[in-house]
Amino acid sequence: MSIELTACLLTIFLLAAIGTPIAYSVILGALAYLAVAGQDIALAGEQILQGLYDSFILLAVPLFIVAANIMNAGTISERLLNFCVAAVGRFRGGLGHVNIVASLIFSGMSGSAVADAAGIGKIIIQMMTKDGRYSPGYAAAITAASATIGPIIPPSIPMVLYALISNSSIGYLFMGGILPGLFMGLVLIVMNAWLSSRRGFALEEPVPLRELPKTAINAVPALLMPAILLYGIYGGVTTPTEAAAVAAFYALVLAGVFYRALSFRGLYDIFVESARSSAAVGLVIGGALILNYIVASENIPSIMAEKLVGIDVSPLMFLLAVNVIVLLLGCVLDATTIILVIIPLFIPTCRELGIDLVHFGVVIVVNTMIGLITPPYGVLLFVINAVTGIPLGSIIREIWAFLFVLVVALLAMILFPGIVLFLPRLLGYEG
Amino acid sequence: MQTPIRWIVRIVEALTAAALFALFTTFLIQIFSRYVLGGAVGWTIELNLTLWIWIVFIGAAFIVRDRDHVTFDILYLAVPDGPRKVFALISAAAIAGGLLYSLLPTWDYIDFLKIKRSATLGVPLRTIFSCYAIFLVVVSLRYIWVFVSTLRHGASKEAHEIHVGED
Repeated sequence: MSIELTACLLTIFLLAAIGTPIAYSVILGALAYLAVAGQDIALAGEQILQGLYDSFILLAVPLFIVAANIMNAGTISERLLNFCVAAVGRFRGGLGHVNIVASLIFSGMSGSAVADAAGIGKIIIQMMTKDGRYSPGYAAAITAASATIGPIIPPSIPMVLYALISNSSIGYLFMGGILPGLFMGLVLIVMNAWLSSRRGFALEEPVPLRELPKTAINAVPALLMPAILLYGIYGGVTTPTEAAAVAAFYALVLAGVFYRALSFRGLYDIFVESARSSAAVGLVIGGALILNYIVASENIPSIMAEKLVGIDVSPLMFLLAVNVIVLLLGCVLDATTIILVIIPLFIPTCRELGIDLVHFGVVIVVNTMIGLITPPYGVLLFVINAVTGIPLGSIIREIWAFLFVLVVALLAMILFPGIVLFLPRLLGYEG
Repeated sequence: MQTPIRWIVRIVEALTAAALFALFTTFLIQIFSRYVLGGAVGWTIELNLTLWIWIVFIGAAFIVRDRDHVTFDILYLAVPDGPRKVFALISAAAIAGGLLYSLLPTWDYIDFLKIKRSATLGVPLRTIFSCYAIFLVVVSLRYIWVFVSTLRHGASKEAHEIHVGED
C-alpha cells in the first residue's frame, strides 16, 4: 500500500471514529491523499463536482426521498394498514402478520427503510401495544425487522447508490430485489407465527369478510404505486430516474387530491426536510466519488488480482467472507456509509472472480439492511426508539429471533443466486 | 449576529425547497414533452443536474445542521466530557483547516472553467460549479465558529438525527 493511500485511509478512519461527519472525513482523507502524493489539491473538488454533475441516475435519490416523505405525511399508510388488518388480522399473531404484510406493500412504494419504520411502523406499534396485547419490545422488534424489506423490493435508494459505484443496471437490480424481499417477508411471517403460538398471543376480533372489499377499494390507489413504477421502468415508458419523479407525483396526487390529507404548509415542510436529507446524503455520495477515483488511481483492481492468483480463493468463499465483514461492519456503521465507502473496495475483486454484480449488489443491500437492526448501532432501532419512546434495551431483547431468520435468508440468497437472478434473467439479463 | 443568520437560513431553506420542487416538476415536463409533445427536450437534464449540485452544496453549507450529517457517533457519545471536547475540537479544526487549504487551488480550477460552457444552455461551467466554492467558504466559517463555541461552552452531546435516505 502506498504511503498516500495509508494517509488517506488513516485520516478517514480516525476522523470518522471521533465523530466527524462521514462526508467530511472522506473529503479530508482525499485531500490528505492528494497532498501526500503531491498531486493537485483541486482534484478532490473536481472529482466530486464532475461526478455529481455527470450521474443522471443519482437524481432518483432526492425524488425517492420526496416520495417517501409525502407518503408518510398523507394518510396513505393508515389506509394500507386498515386493508392489511382486514386481510390477515384474523390469524394468530395477527397484528404481527399485518405488520409484515404492510411493510411488504409499503416497500413497493418507498425506497427507504427509515421511512417505513417511521411511517407505518409508528402507527402499527400503537395498534399492537394497545390493551397490552403485545409487549412494546416485541412490537418494536418485528416492526424494525420488517422495515428492512423496504429497500429490497423496488424502489430502493441503497440500490441506486450501489448502481452508481458498481456501474450495474439499476433496472436489473430492482428486478433482482423482488423475490429476496418476498422471501424475507416469508421467513419473518414464519417466525412470528411460531413465536405467537408458543407465547399464546391473543387472537384479534376478525374483521367481517364483507368489509374486505371496502377497505381494499380504499387502499387500491396506494396499492397501484408499485405496479405503476415497475411498469414504467420495465415497460420502457420511463427511465428509473423518471420513475422516481412519477412516484413522487403519484404520492402527491394521492395525498393531496385523492385523500385530501396535505396542506400547503405541510407540503412546504416536506420539501425543506427532503432538501436537507438530500444534501446530507449527496455529500456522502460526493465523498464516495473521490474515493472511487483513488481506488482507480491506486490500481487496486490489478493488485487484488495478483494477490488472488496466489491464494486461489473461490468465488463462494470470497462472497461469504465479504458478507461476514459487512454484517460485522453493519453493527457499527449505517448502510449508506458501507455501500458508498466500503463496498467499492470489493467490486474489482468481484469482477476478477466472475461474481455477478447484480447478485452481489442485491445480497449486499440485503446484508446492509440487516445491519440496520443489528445492535449496538442499528439505525432502525434508533428511529423506532425515537418515534415511539420504547426503550432500546427492550427492542434489542426481542430482535434476535428476527435477526436470526433474516441472516438465514441472506445465506440462502448467497448460496442460491437464482433467488436473486431468476426475475432479471426472465427479463433478458445475461448474468 | 444570531437573528440575521437565522434569516439567511430561513431564506436558503425556502430556496433549496424551491429548487427541489423545480427538479421534480422539470422531470414531469421531460416525460410530458416526450410523450405528448412528441420530442425530448435537451435542457431538462442539464437544468436538473445543475439544480441537484446546488441543492447538495448550498444545502450542506446552510441548512444541513451539524446533527443532520451521517455520522458514526457511538464513541463520541460514550466518552466523558473531557475527551469529547477534544474530539469535537479536532473535528472542527480538521474540517475548517482542510477545506480552507483546498479553497484556493479549487477556486483556480473552477475559475478556469469560465472558458467552458454547458452543452445545451450555454452557461459557463464556472457559474454552475461556483456552488462548491460557496460551500467551502461557508462550511469553513461554520466550523471555525463550532471550534470557538466548543472551546468556550464544551462539546455538543446531541446524537445525530436519522433521515430518510440514510439507509
